Amino acid sequence: MTATAAKRKAKLPSQATMAKTFHWVNIIALLLMMASGLQIYNANPVFGGRAGWDFPEVFLLGGWLAGGRAWHFAIMWVYSLNLLAYGIFVFVTQRWQHRFASSGDLKALRASQNEKRKTFAKHRLVYTLIVPVLLLAIASGLAMYKPAQLHWLAAMFGNWQTLRTVHFLTVPIVLAFTLIHSIMALKVGNLRLVKSMFF
Amino acid sequence: MGLFLPQSISRRRLLLGAGLSGAGLLLNGCGTSLGVRQVGNLTEPLNQAIEKLLLSQNAVPEFSASAIEPDKLLINSFNGTPDLDPAQFRLVVDGEVNQPMDFSLADLQSLPQKDMVIRHVCVEGWAAIVQWGGVPLQALAKLVQPKPEARYVFFTSADGYYESWDLASSLHPQTLMVYQKNGQPLSPQNGAPLRLASPIKLGYKQSKWVTQITFMNELTPRLGYWEDRGYEWFAGL
Repeated sequence: MTATAAKRKAKLPSQATMAKTFHWVNIIALLLMMASGLQIYNANPVFGGRAGWDFPEVFLLGGWLAGGRAWHFAIMWVYSLNLLAYGIFVFVTQRWQHRFASSGDLKALRASQNEKRKTFAKHRLVYTLIVPVLLLAIASGLAMYKPAQLHWLAAMFGNWQTLRTVHFLTVPIVLAFTLIHSIMALKVGNLRLVKSMFF
Repeated sequence: MGLFLPQSISRRRLLLGAGLSGAGLLLNGCGTSLGVRQVGNLTEPLNQAIEKLLLSQNAVPEFSASAIEPDKLLINSFNGTPDLDPAQFRLVVDGEVNQPMDFSLADLQSLPQKDMVIRHVCVEGWAAIVQWGGVPLQALAKLVQPKPEARYVFFTSADGYYESWDLASSLHPQTLMVYQKNGQPLSPQNGAPLRLASPIKLGYKQSKWVTQITFMNELTPRLGYWEDRGYEWFAGL
């Protein structure tokens, strides 16, 4: 057990260049999507409508609604094509078999006495769960962008307010994820692991 | 129609200027001055191509009458509500057509009425399920007979608002010139005597107080009131 743990630790700082690239592009694209998305939000707040609370200018991108939309509908391509390429990469390299949360991790969370193994399982579970959230952001966004031509997609979210709320909630979820994911990464592999994912 | 009241636009412009002079707000400055037009110009042709590809001539599924949300349709206008006399109202349909015509409100109401219950989606983010009743633009086109070269339609409104649409969207079976909302005669604030309504375009494309419909071969530099201020032209849903 200690031997494999040591081996794993020694391996950590090397990350696939592709994985690092997807990670970087995803972070930048998400930041731009959130800032332009909040600009759009402010034109008619999801909560409270015209009387609702606005996000301060410093978090916004685009200057006004039309500018926010221009950014949002440009960066959506970067964001979604990056995610698609990542999906293909994960599939082709078969990373899905050993890089994401598995039944073994769930078992470890339930039964393992090894704290390190449990932390590792939690870390994998957290970053695996963000993938469906990222996909939900695209699905709910598309449903709002083309509710007539993609009426079946819009109908899956029930009414318009639910659709807007779901799309908006991906923002706090992604922000909370970023925090938890960073803490878990530090726990699992210290700053070395975090650095290895960026540089 | 209108997206912000004039006061709030000038407030936004003010903030925009303030953002630019505040050198610290790099992201904001970038978004307001340099970025927007370039970013839009970069991907809008692609987005528009996708929108045209998605556009189908089939009717968008409608909602039941019980789904109508009378309180959700907000009033937007770039310059208040024009004072129009329905008795004096004329709709001119002209341009690249074989038979230019004009219609009184009674003329339009004597044509077969089409009703639809659709979702009206505003660019601001809100939406409302609304019943509209009126004449399909397709039916008016049959009367005036657009020439084969006609590819666009320009809508002129009594308040100075203007819009241009692609022909395919204009001739969609659910693109109507309406005089009725939620079973009642259209109110002046909602665009009476006559306005555009369609489930396939954003609200600002759906001109109120329409007095002239002009078929055109080419677009002019006047794309539409909000388009000329930075909003998307196709704006398909």
